[in-house]
Amino acid sequence: MIYDQARWTRGASEKRDGNGDESEGESEEGGEGHGKGSVYEPLLAEKRSREVGVASSLPDDLTRDSLELPALAEPELARHYTRLSQTNYGVETGPFPLGSCTMKYNPAFTEDLAALPDAAIHPERSAASTQGTLELRYRLQEYLARIGGMDSVTLQPPAGAAGEFTGILIARAYHEHRGERRAEVVVPESAHGTNFASAALAGYEVVELPAGEDGRVDLDALDAAVGAETAALMLTNPNTLGLFERDIEAIADVVHDAGGLLYYDGANLNALLGRARPGDMGFDVMHYNVHKTFATPHGGGGPGAGPVGVVDDLAPFLPTPQVRAVEQDRREPDGGADGSGTEGSAGSTRYERFAPAHSIGKVHGYAGNWPVLVKAYAYIARLGDAGLRDASAKAVLNANYLASRIDYEIPYGPFHHEFVASAGDRDAADVARRMLDHGVHPPTTKWPEAVPEALMTEPTEVESRATLDQLAAAFDRVAAEDDAVLDAAPERTSAARIDQTDAARNPRLSWHALDE
Amino acid sequence: MSFEIPDELGYLTTHEWARRENGTVRVGVSDFAQDELGDVVFVEFPETGEELTREAEFGVVESIKAVSDLYTPVSGTVADTNDALLDVPELVNDDPYGEGWMIEVEPADESEFEDLLSAEEYREQIE
Amino acid sequence: MSGNGRETTTHSHSSGGDRGRDGEHGSPFAPHTPDETAAMLDAIGVEAQEELFDIPEAVAFERSLGIEPRSEREIGREVRGMLGRNDELVEFLGRGHYDAYVPALVDHLADRSEFLSSYTQYQPEVTQGFLQALFEYQSMLVELTGLAVANCSMYDAATALGEAATLARRVRETSGHRVLVPELLHGGRRAVLENYIAGTDAAVETYRHDDGNADLAALESQLDDDAVLVYAENPTVRGTIEEELAEIGALAGEHDALFCLGSDPVALSILAEPASVGADVAVGEASSLGLGASGGMGLGLLATREEYLRQVPGRLVGAGTDAAGRRAYTLTLQTREQHIRRERATSNICTNQAWLALRAAIHAAWLGPEGLCALAERCVTRPRDLAERLNTIEGCAAPVHDRHHFREFLVRTDRPAADVAADLEARGFAIHAVDETLVQVCITEANAAHVDDLAAAFEVVA
Repeated sequence: MIYDQARWTRGASEKRDGNGDESEGESEEGGEGHGKGSVYEPLLAEKRSREVGVASSLPDDLTRDSLELPALAEPELARHYTRLSQTNYGVETGPFPLGSCTMKYNPAFTEDLAALPDAAIHPERSAASTQGTLELRYRLQEYLARIGGMDSVTLQPPAGAAGEFTGILIARAYHEHRGERRAEVVVPESAHGTNFASAALAGYEVVELPAGEDGRVDLDALDAAVGAETAALMLTNPNTLGLFERDIEAIADVVHDAGGLLYYDGANLNALLGRARPGDMGFDVMHYNVHKTFATPHGGGGPGAGPVGVVDDLAPFLPTPQVRAVEQDRREPDGGADGSGTEGSAGSTRYERFAPAHSIGKVHGYAGNWPVLVKAYAYIARLGDAGLRDASAKAVLNANYLASRIDYEIPYGPFHHEFVASAGDRDAADVARRMLDHGVHPPTTKWPEAVPEALMTEPTEVESRATLDQLAAAFDRVAAEDDAVLDAAPERTSAARIDQTDAARNPRLSWHALDE
Repeated sequence: MSFEIPDELGYLTTHEWARRENGTVRVGVSDFAQDELGDVVFVEFPETGEELTREAEFGVVESIKAVSDLYTPVSGTVADTNDALLDVPELVNDDPYGEGWMIEVEPADESEFEDLLSAEEYREQIE
Repeated sequence: MSGNGRETTTHSHSSGGDRGRDGEHGSPFAPHTPDETAAMLDAIGVEAQEELFDIPEAVAFERSLGIEPRSEREIGREVRGMLGRNDELVEFLGRGHYDAYVPALVDHLADRSEFLSSYTQYQPEVTQGFLQALFEYQSMLVELTGLAVANCSMYDAATALGEAATLARRVRETSGHRVLVPELLHGGRRAVLENYIAGTDAAVETYRHDDGNADLAALESQLDDDAVLVYAENPTVRGTIEEELAEIGALAGEHDALFCLGSDPVALSILAEPASVGADVAVGEASSLGLGASGGMGLGLLATREEYLRQVPGRLVGAGTDAAGRRAYTLTLQTREQHIRRERATSNICTNQAWLALRAAIHAAWLGPEGLCALAERCVTRPRDLAERLNTIEGCAAPVHDRHHFREFLVRTDRPAADVAADLEARGFAIHAVDETLVQVCITEANAAHVDDLAAAFEVVA
């Protein structure tokens, strides 16, 4: 399989005067427009920009003098952004086995539902006039609670890290409500960076927990780390090596005996859907990454959503507002426990917002990333029990199958939805860059550090056997290639290796800075 | 890989070096440290005149992959800073004991220099 | 209703999630045929999918979640039915979340799956397109704010304000504890700010307003060297335009406090540039471009001075060169971020609102400078005209504040404001009831066609 992402580029002179005069003698690849200073697609401002004087009915001292922005016609814009999209790799472009990121296919129909005119409402509409929105939120809260084995769920956090922050604020409020001030949050050394940062943002000292030799939590180390100052232990399970924390019940006991809470980082929930639930393992509070587990699109970095589930004891501390159902006329519970029936439900159940008794307040200006939540609801409804169980089964099957097909050392197991291979004496980032030339997206690299030169690989359930074979071939071909080839990679992508050092030493963060 | 560790310097376990020169002490990071960091992209240090306490943070050095705090080998007053690093931070990589120096301290207590690791002790630590 | 996931009904399924089992299907988004699954299991060397799970029996979940799978069509009908229970109201709502008219081009381009289904650009060689779009977004914000560094998004205006406060704590030379915010501040923004500084010993305090603008004398009397940040908004949550921003900036500067100005890109296209009034940080809701009413989803704007570059929260896209000497874009200065610096990161943010930044940039480019300025000017004239009109109605006085307005304004009603709002709702209009006697009305492209109807309804209910 060969791959060629960039079909053509323009010379530096061409973008300035538009006459295509190629004077770039130093063009290294010999191809037209591939040389120094050339660009694949000029910036909007380089195409056409205009400065206009601001004429307003406001007094002059309240207004700016002028504004300079790109000034292009719609067809030019359509072509600009289409060209940009062609240099961007997405889930629909090819396999996307980024470990810890759960890059699933984003079902098309969920986009349509999130874009319904009836979904486009202002967040400060009255509850009475937005019963549909509140009902959907309520049902999603219910679904997530069941999936996580939690008692109550807030949909407010706009991303996973915001969910972590919310969960830790809830833990803090819970301890303070009991008259306790605890200073520490314990985090395994291999945890997501957000765990450390979220705990610190909430004012906690972070205590790093070293892993045991088997890649799991070491109970002796845990005993040593947890104590009267422990507000919470943050854990993901399966952990970042894909391993299930077999001692989870003992871990929960250690934390709970010390008066701490157990926090579940939902980043790896895709491994467990319908098979194990954080609530049943002893976790008290968790976040869900709906843009991972529930297939809402990553959008090139966001928006996501990071709902947080809690056990009953923590429910009074949830952010405000929460949504609850009020039975008005208890003839017949509409739609049954699965909540799938809608018709005829109007009038029998009302939904209302309320502030939990000891709420931590707010973590988002309004109610979170609502359109993302609509997509998550639709996805969960589409899969149902059987589909959720099958998603985790196929995610784990795919990871194990891919691992069995590649010629790399995988030091830790048995893993679930992801595995961490080692690039050995090669630089994992070089391996990743060369994989691009074989037409696949590479795995996450250099993390977790327990595996040297880590290639953290999570194919997800959406890849077929044929695609996994293609991925395996890419892994193995790169392994067989010379160092010089890897050093020069990638060569078939729209950008070659980028000089990160120069970009950081001389930050150019806007088109205004390009000429400096 | 062997690292240059000049005999005449004193070291901290956190990889800073100190060199006595005409009444002041020049401070930088070791060859080992610059190698661990990789390409240095930014250095931040205090202004001249600031008082520093031994082993307290005096600045940061940033590479593509990490940000590290810098610790003071000897207490004293900042007498000079290597402003060339603001524009050419790669001097830390190219010449860690020479042009890549960071600050010069007027020491409050000369005897503190004796508490630093010797080159030999430092070499043992990093090997 | 049971909120307890542990009490879901038990009707156990047979093992696995294989397609066709019990007449149900597995995930419709897993392509495996039974033969392929069998071959894959064989290649791994196990007999059943269940063998691949290392879950101790004590914590295994063997029951049903009670979620019936539905077809795409059924879910479409269900969700349409459910959301159909939202009343069809013409919204004259604002206070930080606006129903912009979004040109069709934005949806069509941003919905391209190469954008929508892509990940954060950690592999820049295959994400040049999104990186460039974000670079262009950052550039537009630099132009609009006059500040040299804009990040490629926070979650919303409220969290951007929270991040600005923590930034101020990091960059200020001496420690400070007081974050001064206007009395006129959206409750959600205030509440989020409180949480963002909850991990510090800082505290939020308010300064008074005087007829819809900051009360400078009150602010001055509250300022001391313990103030770390002074926040103002332009326009304010009530739609009033601040007339003495430069004075606020100067006051903050005198006490070595950072001056943070909240705004949005439409307002910034004609109102004073944050940099020109001394702002050190600009925050706000950039979703006033590219996004219609969306239940509160936002796009947090954050821009600041170059000297604070290394304390900026969130992702930054920079321009550089690739090995062939071509211009290339990349996420840069990542050592500020959580995945490298962990508990000492400038923020915990990872996933942001990148796709909305793309939408905002497309929208801004579609408008162009003339279009953007014209849109902003209509945000000045429309509320002026409507306020004048409502002021002629018996029982209404508008605008309440003797100021210039942007998008929205207050109306004082003789009848209780809640009653007026409820009666308008019964007639198909949503407005804000701000307190006992004040309602707030916001006009955008999306509702401007209904202004006559709203005025007529006011005639009846006021």
